[in-house]
Amino acid sequence: MAIDGLIILDGSGRPIIQSGYTAYPPAYPLLHIDTLNNALAQVSRESDVDPVLYVGPGIGESLAGSACCHIEVGGGLRMIASISGDEDPLVAFAFLQAFLEILQDYFGAVSTATLRDNFDVVYQLLEETLDSSGHPLTTSPNALRDIVLPPSLLSKLLASVSPSAPTSSSGRNTGGSFGGNGTGAAFASPIPWRKAGVRHNHNEILFDVVEEMRGIVGRNGVTLVSNVWGKIESNAKLSGTPDLLLTFTNPNVLTDCAFHPCVRLQRWTRDKALSFVPPDGRFVLAEYQHTSPSAVVSHLPVPLALKTNIDIGEFGGTVHLTLSSRLSTKELDNVEVELYLGDDASGAQCTTSSAGTGVGSVGGAEGSWSFDSRKKALRWEIPSMRTSGSWVLRGSWTSKSKTPRPAHAVHIRFDIPAYNFSSLKVDQLRLSGENYKMYKGVRGRSLGSIEWRW
Amino acid sequence: MSTQPGQDAKFFQRGKIEEFRAELQAAETKDKKYQKRKTVLKKVVANITMGNDMSPLFTDVVQCLGTPLLEIKKMVYLFLMSYGRTKPEQIHLVIPSFLQDCNDRNPLIRALAIRTMSYIPIPVVTDALSDQLRHCIKDRDPYVRKTAAICVAKLYTADPRKAERGGFVELLRDLMLDANATVVANAVAALSEIGDRQDGVIFRLNLLIASKLIAALGESSEWGQIYILDSLLRYVPDKHADAEMMAERVIVQLQHANSAVVLTAIKVLLYLMNYMENRRLIDYICKKMGPPLVTLLSSGPEVQYVALRNILLIIQRRPAVLKNDVKVFFCKYNDPIYVKLAKLEIMYRLAREENAREVLAELEEYASEVDIDFVRKAVRSMGRLAIKVEPAADSCIQSLLGLIDTKVSYVVQEAVIVTKDVFRRYPGKYEGIIPKLCENLDALDEPEAKAAMVWILGQFADKIDNADELLDDLVYTFLDEPVEVQLALLTATVKLFIHKHQSDTTKALVHKVLKWATEEIDNPDLRDRGFMYWRMLAMNPTLAGEIVLAEKPAITTDSDRMDRGALDQLLLHTGTLGSIYHKNPETFIRNAAGRALIDSPALNANSRAVLVPLSRPQLPPVAVSVSGPGPTEPTRPSSPPGEAGTSKPSLAVPVASGSSEGRDLLDIDDVTAESGGGGDSGEGYGDIDDDGPTGNAADPYANLGGAFGGYSADEPKPMGNRTGHGGDLDDLLF
Repeated sequence: MAIDGLIILDGSGRPIIQSGYTAYPPAYPLLHIDTLNNALAQVSRESDVDPVLYVGPGIGESLAGSACCHIEVGGGLRMIASISGDEDPLVAFAFLQAFLEILQDYFGAVSTATLRDNFDVVYQLLEETLDSSGHPLTTSPNALRDIVLPPSLLSKLLASVSPSAPTSSSGRNTGGSFGGNGTGAAFASPIPWRKAGVRHNHNEILFDVVEEMRGIVGRNGVTLVSNVWGKIESNAKLSGTPDLLLTFTNPNVLTDCAFHPCVRLQRWTRDKALSFVPPDGRFVLAEYQHTSPSAVVSHLPVPLALKTNIDIGEFGGTVHLTLSSRLSTKELDNVEVELYLGDDASGAQCTTSSAGTGVGSVGGAEGSWSFDSRKKALRWEIPSMRTSGSWVLRGSWTSKSKTPRPAHAVHIRFDIPAYNFSSLKVDQLRLSGENYKMYKGVRGRSLGSIEWRW
Repeated sequence: MSTQPGQDAKFFQRGKIEEFRAELQAAETKDKKYQKRKTVLKKVVANITMGNDMSPLFTDVVQCLGTPLLEIKKMVYLFLMSYGRTKPEQIHLVIPSFLQDCNDRNPLIRALAIRTMSYIPIPVVTDALSDQLRHCIKDRDPYVRKTAAICVAKLYTADPRKAERGGFVELLRDLMLDANATVVANAVAALSEIGDRQDGVIFRLNLLIASKLIAALGESSEWGQIYILDSLLRYVPDKHADAEMMAERVIVQLQHANSAVVLTAIKVLLYLMNYMENRRLIDYICKKMGPPLVTLLSSGPEVQYVALRNILLIIQRRPAVLKNDVKVFFCKYNDPIYVKLAKLEIMYRLAREENAREVLAELEEYASEVDIDFVRKAVRSMGRLAIKVEPAADSCIQSLLGLIDTKVSYVVQEAVIVTKDVFRRYPGKYEGIIPKLCENLDALDEPEAKAAMVWILGQFADKIDNADELLDDLVYTFLDEPVEVQLALLTATVKLFIHKHQSDTTKALVHKVLKWATEEIDNPDLRDRGFMYWRMLAMNPTLAGEIVLAEKPAITTDSDRMDRGALDQLLLHTGTLGSIYHKNPETFIRNAAGRALIDSPALNANSRAVLVPLSRPQLPPVAVSVSGPGPTEPTRPSSPPGEAGTSKPSLAVPVASGSSEGRDLLDIDDVTAESGGGGDSGEGYGDIDDDGPTGNAADPYANLGGAFGGYSADEPKPMGNRTGHGGDLDDLLF
């Protein structure tokens, strides 16, 4: 089990920062970088590159085969984890994700500039999270912040420490006071995800229940697949060691749950209550799937309906889409309909309209369309869809090819604020182990990503 | 700069080093609050992270180690981690500082010191480290203890025998019982690393320790859980009940948020199932494994890909898992291509009579997609579906005919290729569609499709009225065709001649082709086949007919499932690179240790029957030459298959008996001792002993070729292949 090292590449495929790779010849990280860049150069869509690339043996037998796991970080940056031996690529991906989250936690946005400005912190983080024989160590931001100071805190502390003339002995103490005690606390804490001695003036915990529906609707309008994946995101700012018990009025809507390590799994299995000591700050408490309660209808209904009438002609075609909501109480927000028109598509001309959408049809309610010339896709955006009425997009597109090949599916995304597909309800949240009042908040939100075939 | 270290870059670097050196020297005087040194060191570290060689600054940087500022100390240590090993003659300068820091009152510094030392495999440093490590491994601070555990593994890498003599393995073993879960996890990680080494001690868990480790799971970090779960594969249950109890305690980990933890837990469960007999529990576990696997599919495409490749393996061994979930694997048009291809393969595997209609409808959908590779694979899957699920064959053929009507070149070609296999699977059932295929003869320009069509023309020449004309047209370009097509044409004309030997045109045709094949062609296969046909036809045309048109064995797709023994072994690598490429990792990945099921009284009979022995092929030559006492053993091939399971039978027996008494926490056997045992055959047999198992181990993967093609075509194969493992089909389908 070993992650040999980690490399961060900039938008043009050059390394910004890489971990030590001390046990390997210098060519080893370069082989990985080259393998990835070559693979990227060979495909038209960057997302089509296999996420686990085999890196053949280099020159010399010490470099037998290995593999390069990579993810896109955003802003064109990419992270590589080199692995060999019996390593689990999922460990590599989980580690890359965890490291990315740490970087975001430390620097906010991750970009070439922030990494270059803070390379010493990044390097320390690398050393602290991944040891040279490739074992991921501590990736919990709670514990890390004590060992590696975030840049802002670092400068503040140094400013306050500096006036005292650093004689040999007091200097040692300085080191001890901000590194030592903290570390001792972080690792002496019996709970690996939470440091001891947290203090907040205002105690609060917030839960965001975010659910996403992913589905495929067949050309006859029948839902083929629809799954709802939910996530309970939490932000805890609680002092001391709070022991929480979260209960739901309808826990049976949650199936196939996966929990943050802080959740006592036995307790959940026994009485469907979440008992946990939360980490400090943001974390994902649980992920779950929501399935249809009735055995007869195996699919959850898709909350909108689309009528498609697409004709493909020579050098182009016509589009006629009619969209309406199937929800009776909530509005659908940020509805985005996308149709890939084929590689040779050169442009589109459309009109949008809405009918029977109720009173106060404000400007832009009928939505707007655009042609994305990079993705070769027609996009139709509706900021808000009420429960009644229908929205129409009508138009045509042109193509350089005599027989255009558009995708035979329309992709629809939408948000539903303050709504959950599962209608999961929190019953109560009880605190034990600490004697303070805390503010509690729960918020729901739903997203959708539907492929509608025609 | 690091990618193209050109001449200019080098010069620039040299200039930089002089600059840094001067700055560091200047900083020795009048450096208020060490700000200057800090700035320079920061620049140095920055250059290290960009891959620039800063080692010439060694002496200058080391000077800063005395600076009483943690920040500076950290950066100097970062420097030492990178370059310490390259400076054996200067490293002694640092030892006193190391020793001082190992006894610092700040645990962070103590840990930093031993960690840095462990990165420098130079004898003076490892000597100093051994002394310090003995204290640190019992440090009161868990951070130091957990760091010390990892350092032991590195010490072991630097000098295995010394670490063993120093008793460090035993110290690690004791750490597995530490009160702090992170320390436990790191001790397990270190022991696993040592155990995976070719020359390392054997790391095996007994029931007591395994149970203790499971208990520590709850408090571990996610990485710790992965180490601990993975180490459970080193526990060999002696009783069914032990395996079952263990599995029940692991199941709860399937609810973890970290995908790697989930997959590792699944790996452990799949492993333990080999040692269970309670069918109800096994079914229950299979049912429990499905949903977490599906949940992995809600993650990013990278995780999906790894999950899908693993699912493909798992459902071959345990078809009950995900039996009813084929819909989860339906492809979306904007899935990355590697996800689509992996999903398609799984859809095919999960297809049964009950869901064949849904699967076929999806495949038809994919046949109209934009991506050509994917479309081809989808069309091919339709044919395979027809072959696999007989009741669906009619509708599959209808769909294929529909696709041929589209006249899209690559779709038609792909359809022709699979139709050929359908004809072979259901002889006499679908020949009615041949005319339709013949209409599209001109569209075929790919060798595989052309060869398939030619095969059809030859095979059914008696049913196609104008077969001679069609073949005559095709033969026109004979000399320019690829060998694949030439071979097909040769055989097809011979078949045609046998079907219609009265016709003069066929006679002329076969004569022309045979003459070409034997006189104009350089390819020996083609030439030889030409001569063979020619002689057969000349000597006894009737007999030739019997041979050429002999009844072909019916084909099936069952045989594209992997060999069961190889599958068992691959599943031990669930979640690793081996499971991505469907190949045992030690065969293509550096440092990968082989894994094999280990025989025990609890191992179920089916698994034992297909047990694949594991070898440790790269034993150091010194160890091999050690001769052991005792009588000469018979050579390996004659040993019964059951015993071949443990590649070192003479070792496995004492180990098993030792652990069953529960006295040892783990079995530590020096490799030398092991080879001594294995070397019972005497000195002269040393080499045979070493090579024998390697040959055995390599064998089962002969049929796993094309590992890096990823999606081997899974060509239908003659049914005959099945007889080899026909007996275990029942077991595979429970």
